[in-house]
Amino acid sequence: MSLNYPAPIQRLIVQLKSLPGVGPRSAERMALWLLSAGRERGGLLADALRAIETEVVMCEDCGFYNEAGQACLLCSNDKRQRHIVCVVEQAADVLRLERSRAYQGQYHVLGGKLSPLDNVTPEDLRMDSLERRVAELPASEVILALGSDVEGEATANYIADLVRPLGVAVTKLAQGMPAGGGLDHVDELTLHHALQGRRAMS
Amino acid sequence: MLSEIEVRDFRCFAHQRLELHPQMTVLVGRNAQGKTSLLEAACVLLRLQSPRTSVRTDLIRFDSSTLMVEGRWNGVSLRCGMSDSRRRLAIDGTICGKSSDYLERSGLVVWMDHSDMNLLRGTSEHRRRYLDFAASQIEPGYLEALQGYQRALRSRNYILKRDATVQWRQVDAYGQLMAGFHQTLVLHREQLVRALKPKMGEVMSRLSFATEEVGIEYLPACSAEGLMDALTRHRAEEERSRTTYTGAHRDDFALSINGRNAEAFASEGQQRSISIALKIGQARVLDEARSMAPLLLVDDVFGELDPSRRRALLSGLPLGTQSIFTTTHLDWAGELGEGCQIVAVEKGEARAKILKRV
Ligand SMILES: [Zn+2]
Repeated sequence: MSLNYPAPIQRLIVQLKSLPGVGPRSAERMALWLLSAGRERGGLLADALRAIETEVVMCEDCGFYNEAGQACLLCSNDKRQRHIVCVVEQAADVLRLERSRAYQGQYHVLGGKLSPLDNVTPEDLRMDSLERRVAELPASEVILALGSDVEGEATANYIADLVRPLGVAVTKLAQGMPAGGGLDHVDELTLHHALQGRRAMS
Repeated sequence: MLSEIEVRDFRCFAHQRLELHPQMTVLVGRNAQGKTSLLEAACVLLRLQSPRTSVRTDLIRFDSSTLMVEGRWNGVSLRCGMSDSRRRLAIDGTICGKSSDYLERSGLVVWMDHSDMNLLRGTSEHRRRYLDFAASQIEPGYLEALQGYQRALRSRNYILKRDATVQWRQVDAYGQLMAGFHQTLVLHREQLVRALKPKMGEVMSRLSFATEEVGIEYLPACSAEGLMDALTRHRAEEERSRTTYTGAHRDDFALSINGRNAEAFASEGQQRSISIALKIGQARVLDEARSMAPLLLVDDVFGELDPSRRRALLSGLPLGTQSIFTTTHLDWAGELGEGCQIVAVEKGEARAKILKRV
């Protein structure tokens, strides 16, 4: 039998490797660092991981994160408009849009975008809760702030078909957004203009 | 004009640098010595794609993980590095993150080889590829639309096959997306064929001493604006076949000679002339649309033509066209006038040696 690390180290490497953007070699490097120079930091990392499991909850309405036991800072804020919902792919997009200071309505985090070839279907995303919320709020406008790549556009088309029968206007961020990506690489000024110049989806 | 090209770990070449003649360079060597690979490298450098393969790793030399092609086009230095998963581009030493920016600054290419006969005898896929290669050099947005269309089509077909009961809302989300790209593709293909028609006719007339008339007609599978409608009308068919019924991926064009279908009625010689007319016509359309003569890359076929066709081909090119030819023999070199460089290529790693520079 060929030599390998003891089982606990192997298990750690397997876990690290499963994280997004981490390959087998960097997983191994991280594990070895946690065993030597970063030994005390390992404990802190374990605490932080345990904390997100017990102390963080996802808001069932908007899909953003809150500390357990506290009301959602977005949904329970009376100053925010309730007739307008902005749909984004991920929680990070909420923060980006907030920094642009161009938006005062409700958010809805989908948790991804449709991608049949990667096996992501509407059931894997927060589509049902979007339909429910649009009816309950009730919203008069749904803004789709999704990526301009093929998956983002297809997701936008799908949602437009889904919520239009509820009698809401469906709009999209204005052109000028970079093609082929999410909101990740868009600066706040561009986002501001894109929100203000949003247009109805045909 | 491509004044020089340098490759590292490209196909059989570990490292090779080659200065190119402003008018014509002839690469001569026996088969499998690497001359076609140098031609291919020029195409990869200028258009970031190879006419011989769509698999990137085919281009990387055995035992290497990355390849590099560099060169100077009209004084601008271009560099393209590739590994199996990444591509790094640079213009004048500055990293260029978007391939569309790179292609915009880069040169134009017309490629000719034996497979051109497939434009007449092969499936419609060969003819679509011909249109796509030309149109993406003319219209900056074409390639993006093509890639978007293909990606959306793959997803749409996948959803059609995936579920026992077709999920039409998901299918339509991709259909609507395809419809937008489809419109772009059809409009530009239409324009391209319209521009090609007279140019091909001229070349054909030279090749046949004005005895033959060639025609080309674009056959879109579906009108530019009509895709979503057509798909909605054919739900029953799609439910049966579980594949996208129509769209730009089913387009074709028809060629004719003296008014009759060229695939069925043209002789072998006529078909060869038509395939040349398609390529030289493409060179002229590119030259006119972009005000820049393309680089003509000809693999093998030139030496096999009769002298009159060779003359007609060269005289039909846009003014200032630079060309690189590969050949196994130089029997025809006597026809070459001034303005030509002949380079011997032996065993990929061997250095190219300049035999004659006029
Ligand atoms: Zn909330």
